[in-house]
Amino acid sequence: MPYDSQEDTPDEALLVLYANGDAAAARALTVRLTPRVFSHAYRMLGDRAEAEDVAQEAMIRLWRIAPDWRQGEAKVTTWLYRVVANLCTDRLRKVRGIALDAVAEPEDDARGPVESLQEQARMDALQAALNRLSDRQRQAVVLRHIEGLGNPEIAGIMEISVEAVESLTARGKRALAAELAGQREALGYADG
Amino acid sequence: MEQTNAMLDELFAEARRNAEAPVSPALLARVLADAEALQPAPRILEAARPRGWRRFVTLLGGWPSVAGLATAALVGVWIGVAGSAGLIGGELGSDLLSLGQESVLADMDQSYAFLVD
Repeated sequence: MPYDSQEDTPDEALLVLYANGDAAAARALTVRLTPRVFSHAYRMLGDRAEAEDVAQEAMIRLWRIAPDWRQGEAKVTTWLYRVVANLCTDRLRKVRGIALDAVAEPEDDARGPVESLQEQARMDALQAALNRLSDRQRQAVVLRHIEGLGNPEIAGIMEISVEAVESLTARGKRALAAELAGQREALGYADG
Repeated sequence: MEQTNAMLDELFAEARRNAEAPVSPALLARVLADAEALQPAPRILEAARPRGWRRFVTLLGGWPSVAGLATAALVGVWIGVAGSAGLIGGELGSDLLSLGQESVLADMDQSYAFLVD
């Protein structure tokens, strides 16, 4: 049976089905949303284990709110990004000072070892540079440039103005560029 | 700086392609277990139980039956009102009012005469 056989059904409708006891909706939402939630948490925290805990906690909050979900008030993903951001901020406050820029271990996958290592090194470098941004800058940059959301949606998630989002992403990007400027060759980007 | 910006854009693009990093099956299993544990029991949508006079109508068999009953009742009243004067004025009517059962039966049909004897 396909995991998400309801791929055309909007998240909000699946959430209503879930609240009505539909087991297939529970599976579909899990498979659809967990990777997004986890990825965002990972970008924010730079640590897989921590990100997994945050993803699980965020999804628990979604299951709990499902029966009271108000249709049309917010997108499920917007709500989840906000929850993830809050959970990450809480964790970062707790572990502040404990090697936030620790780079995650490269993980095996199906690509060739050299290519895989090079790509992993690039992603690790990006993550390490992201980790050095302020929490707000990192959140804005990740939502804008990696999750690909529009500024108004980011403003909704971060509960700030669109202008503030633009300012955060611009400053964040400048800081990232400065951070990565000396690593072009090391990351496999030829000059010119 | 331009080169660095271009590199940054490439890094973002690469990160976007990997935006949904493979999630460990263990995490999916944990999330699904939570989903099932916290899921409300299936709600069976019962037809709303009728109350008050609606329930009474339902007991009688619904609106068609009630309409039939109402028509029958009206016809009964009409017969009672319109027919009573004629019946009382006629021979059968006055017999009903003044005589015993035997003469009524005898009047209705002579074949009942043996009952009177």
